[in-house]
Order: sequence, then C-alpha cells, then structure tokens
Amino acid sequence: MEEMSAWRERLERTALAPVTRTSWAYYVWVAFLLTVIGWGIYAYYRQLQDGLIVTGMRDRISWGLYITTFVFFIGISHAGTLISAILRVSQARWRTPITRMAEFITLVSLVCGALFVIIDLGRPDRVLNVIRYGRWQSPIIWDVLAITTYITASTAYLFLPMIPDLALFRDRLAGRVSGWRMWLYRLLSVRWQGTRAQWHSMGAAITTAMILIIPIAVSVHTVVSWIFAMTLREPWNSTIFGAFFVAGAIFSGVATLIVVMAILRKVYHLEEYITEKHFVYLGYLLGAFSLIMVYGNVSEYLTTGYKMTEGTEFHFRQLFLGQFAGFYWFYLLGGLVLPGLLILLPWTRNIWGVVAASILVVAAMWVERYFIVVSGFRVPLMPYDPSTYAPTWVELSVMAAGFALFALLITLFVKIFPIIAIWEVAEDEESAEIQPAARRFAHGSAPEPAGGVGR
Amino acid sequence: MKSIVFKVFAVSIALGVAVFALAGSAGASHVTVEVSVPDQSTAGGTDTLLVTLRSADRGVPLASVAVSLYADASFGGVDSQVELGQTVTDQSGVAVVKFHPLSAGDHQISVQYVSPGESQPEVTTTSVSLPGVTSQLYQSTAGVKIPGLNVWLLIAVVATVWAVLLSVAWRVIAIAHAGAERTAPEATHGKRADAQTGSMGAG
Repeated sequence: MEEMSAWRERLERTALAPVTRTSWAYYVWVAFLLTVIGWGIYAYYRQLQDGLIVTGMRDRISWGLYITTFVFFIGISHAGTLISAILRVSQARWRTPITRMAEFITLVSLVCGALFVIIDLGRPDRVLNVIRYGRWQSPIIWDVLAITTYITASTAYLFLPMIPDLALFRDRLAGRVSGWRMWLYRLLSVRWQGTRAQWHSMGAAITTAMILIIPIAVSVHTVVSWIFAMTLREPWNSTIFGAFFVAGAIFSGVATLIVVMAILRKVYHLEEYITEKHFVYLGYLLGAFSLIMVYGNVSEYLTTGYKMTEGTEFHFRQLFLGQFAGFYWFYLLGGLVLPGLLILLPWTRNIWGVVAASILVVAAMWVERYFIVVSGFRVPLMPYDPSTYAPTWVELSVMAAGFALFALLITLFVKIFPIIAIWEVAEDEESAEIQPAARRFAHGSAPEPAGGVGR
Repeated sequence: MKSIVFKVFAVSIALGVAVFALAGSAGASHVTVEVSVPDQSTAGGTDTLLVTLRSADRGVPLASVAVSLYADASFGGVDSQVELGQTVTDQSGVAVVKFHPLSAGDHQISVQYVSPGESQPEVTTTSVSLPGVTSQLYQSTAGVKIPGLNVWLLIAVVATVWAVLLSVAWRVIAIAHAGAERTAPEATHGKRADAQTGSMGAG
C-alpha cells in the first residue's frame, strides 16, 4: 500500500512538474515560435494588403500550400480523438498515458487547419458569406458543418476526462501558481469533488462523447475528400477518396501522435508512464495503416491506369516521371514502404525506429496532400498548356507560422493543463496491482466511469 | 440633251430590273413564312412556335419542307444562334417547334428551309416579343432527384448530433450541481484520493 501511495505521489509530481517549473529553454522555445508566427503574420498582412497576387496561386492552379496544409492538419486531427475514442471503446488499457496528448493534438490541429481555410480566402471579411449565401448541396457547406461540430465534440471529449485532473490541480496548486490559473482550474473543474453522482455523470458523458465522436471524425475527413472528389477534375475522379482520406488521416495522425509523444516524453521525463510498449503498439497501428495506404494507392492507380484516359496519362506522367516524380517516389517508398519495414523488422521495432518511421510518415503525408491539391489542378481541362505553381515567400512564411502555432499551442497546453490523464493512469495501475474490478464496487464509493477504466 | 436624259432613264430602268431580278433569285419571294406564338407566352414557360410556309404566288401550303429554327443568343460576350429544333411541315404547311424562352423581351427567330425546287436553304428572320419576369429562370436539371434527400435531411442529421452534444453539456452541468450539493470538505479530489489509497476511481 505504501508503495502504491509513493507511486501515486510520483505520478502527481510528474504531472504537476511542467506547470510548476519553467526552464530557460522553455522561454527560448516560445520566443522562437512567436518569432516565426510574427513573421507569418507580417506575410499575411502583405497578402491582405496586396491580394492573393503575392501568392503563387493563379486562375488555373487556385489552391496551393494553404489548402494542402488545411487538409494535412485536418488529417492529423484524427491523431487524437479518433484514436483515443477507438482505444477507449475497445478498452485498450495501455492507452491511458497517451490519450490526453492525442486529444489535444486533435483540437489544436483542427484550430490550425480551420485557420488555413480563412487564410486561403482573398477576402477573409467575406467568410460569413459561406453561410449567408451557401447552398446546402455544396460539399464546402458540409465541410463547415462537419468541422465546427468536430471542434465542439473534440473540445468536449478533451475536457470531460480532464475534470478530475483539473480538480487535482485546483487542490494541489493552491498558492503555488498565479491567480488567473487558479481561477481557471476552479472554473474548469466544475466543482468536482469526486462524489458518486459526479462520477456517474462524467462516465455517462464520456461514453456518449466517445461513441458520437467516431462517426463525426470519420465524416469530417470524408467530407474534406468530397470537396475534391465532387469537382470535375481528372485526378479527383475517385470513388474511394473518402475512405482513402480517412485512412490517410489516421495514418498521419498516429505518426504525429508518436512524434509529439516522443518529444514530450523526453522533455518532461515521462519515461515511467510512456514506455516503449506505447511506441511499439502505436507502431503496429502505423504499420497496419501503411499497408492499407499501399493497398489504396495500388487500387487507385491500377484501375485508373488500366483505362488510361488522356487526363490520367498526363497525371501519371507528372507524378511518376515528370516534375513531381522525385517527391512522389519519396511519398510512395519513403512514406509508405520504409515506415512499414521499420516497424516490421524486429531490430528497428523500438522507440527510435518507430519515431523515425513516424517522421517519415508525417513528411510524406504532407507531400501527398500537396500532390492531391496541386497536381489535380495542373491537369488541363481544355487544350491549353499546363500551368505551373510555385509557392512564394508569403505562402511559405504563413505555412511555417501555422506549424509554429501548432507547436506553441501544445507547448502552452502542457504548461497549463495536465499532460497525462492522472486519474485514468492511477486507476489503471491500481486496479491492475491491487484489486480486481469486482471488489471496487463493493466499497461503493465510485462507479466505474464508462469507458474510463480501460480493461 | 434629250438623248442623254433618255439614256440615263434607260440605264436606271435596267438597274432597277436587275436589282429586282437578283432579289428574286435569292428565293425569299417564292415562299411566304409566317411565325406565330400563343398570346399567353411568357418568359420561363414552354410554348410552341407555329411556322407556316406557303407559296408566295398562290398561297398554297408547302408540305414536307424541312424547317430549322434558330434563336439569337449571347453568352460570354459571343453572339451567335442556338438551334431550337428541326421538323417538317405537314399537309397544311405548318411546322411545330417547342420554344422555351428563358428571358423576356424581343427574341430574333430565324427560320431556315429549302423551298421546293431549290437547292440552297433560305432564311427568314422574325421577331417574337415576350412579356416576362426579371428573376433567374434557369433551373438545372442535372442529377437525379431522390425523395427525402434534401436540406431538411441535412438539418436533421446536424441537429441530432448537436442535441447529443448538448446532452453532454447537460451532464457537465449535473457534475457542477452535484459538487455544489456536496458540503463535506473531505470529499475533495485530493483528500479523497489520500483516503482511498490514492485512487480517483477505485473505492
């Protein structure tokens, strides 16, 4: 019992450490991110001032880095909520230390992704026209509805399991942190005192949210794919685009989660809770989805290539032999095949191997999004010379600012909120070490939160 | 002087005869064309254009004459003609073509036909004036209408999802209420954890 108590104290100390201690490296890192964001804001100001002419986008290729990054961020948003919900539904016990990070990645990437849609507009002041004059038959309207719903549901799904941990912060950090933080903890812990009724309400809410969020998450990336697939462009004429996008989203999402997990584990010394087992298990998921992606690519290219219409031939040439060939072969071999091999081979199936595979996947999936967007527009619709697209410094700066914002929001989150789901980790550990589930209810103090115990 | 006047007069007569002769060879004078539309025709509706062909000299209806109708159109800054239809005159010399005007005002209708005994087509143009409205008349007919697949279905799906999300929010309010009702200070998160082997959920 004493050993467990000490373990519990160590867990709380580890969870509280990022909030109570701040190193100089933290300030340097935040300053760097703010600098990048500031430069991006200046670039965006230039775009607002001069118009979209400062970008590389023109009438024939009217989507570029912005929409690519939007699709990429929406994709990695599947890192969290979907993976967390699936693991929670399937009662995978090992998920508990990583769910909080996963859920926050979802929220942050959705916010960053949605920003890029607005950035892509030449007149952002007209963004509400999408609602005012939109047609319900348009996939763009479906996208707006799906993403706003997903952001709301993800916020709820992040917040609900965090309530007991926020209450812990409220109780443990009194007098040790600034006043606004205490106010925030008191507000967000919604008077949590761990009563039976509160556990019951939270369990029911988590169950509802986790069941609801899976179809919402799937719908979001399906609808994003339909923006392309429902447009008359040769490379986008695909019936499997929805499934392909969802698979790609989970693929890039898992990879992003692994990378973020590795960084936070190292920086905040979470080695005791996030072990090699977590990397390898997520690596298995990554490996499985690399096979699904390979299958999806083969299926797509074989069927369209067998028919080989004029537009398809142009598209294939630009992808496999032409101007996109170098990066596209990197996507196929470096982003799909090599990560699969790194996970498949026993001597690379470790933390470094899985992280290396994940970095490759993240880079490759961004490249894939770029090719879907830009190469799709490049195929001529009429007998004219194919256009070209090259991003300008403005687009590159804004994109860099977007990624910096992503990193900054995660950095700030870790400084304010519990980085790991303390009560879930503790409950999982204690139930595994001390008592079986049947005995817990004999005490009658707290019902098992639905889906929250993970066994 | 008289001879000059006479010559000028003779040349003028000759030129006049030549002009009338050339006009006659264009063929228009062999056939009379009459285009009529129903009085109640309005822009946006579907009407029938009646084209009646008769011989110019005796007024005999011309049967079995192929007739093509065109309407003047302008799109994207390009002026041209769109074909309204092709048909053949009946025994009364009447050809019937469906007409679906999408704008009010004057419409220039061209009737092209080949007169009996002629090899070259002849064209007669007439104007049809239609009253109408200023609203958009074009209605896309692309796609397949599936009963029930409409904006209300989308609203129903989105409303259902948001209703479930609101139920989650209601649970959060319930948590706050339950916390407010609890008065015992030892029930706070940390103290409860201490008292119960440091467990949040294990009782």
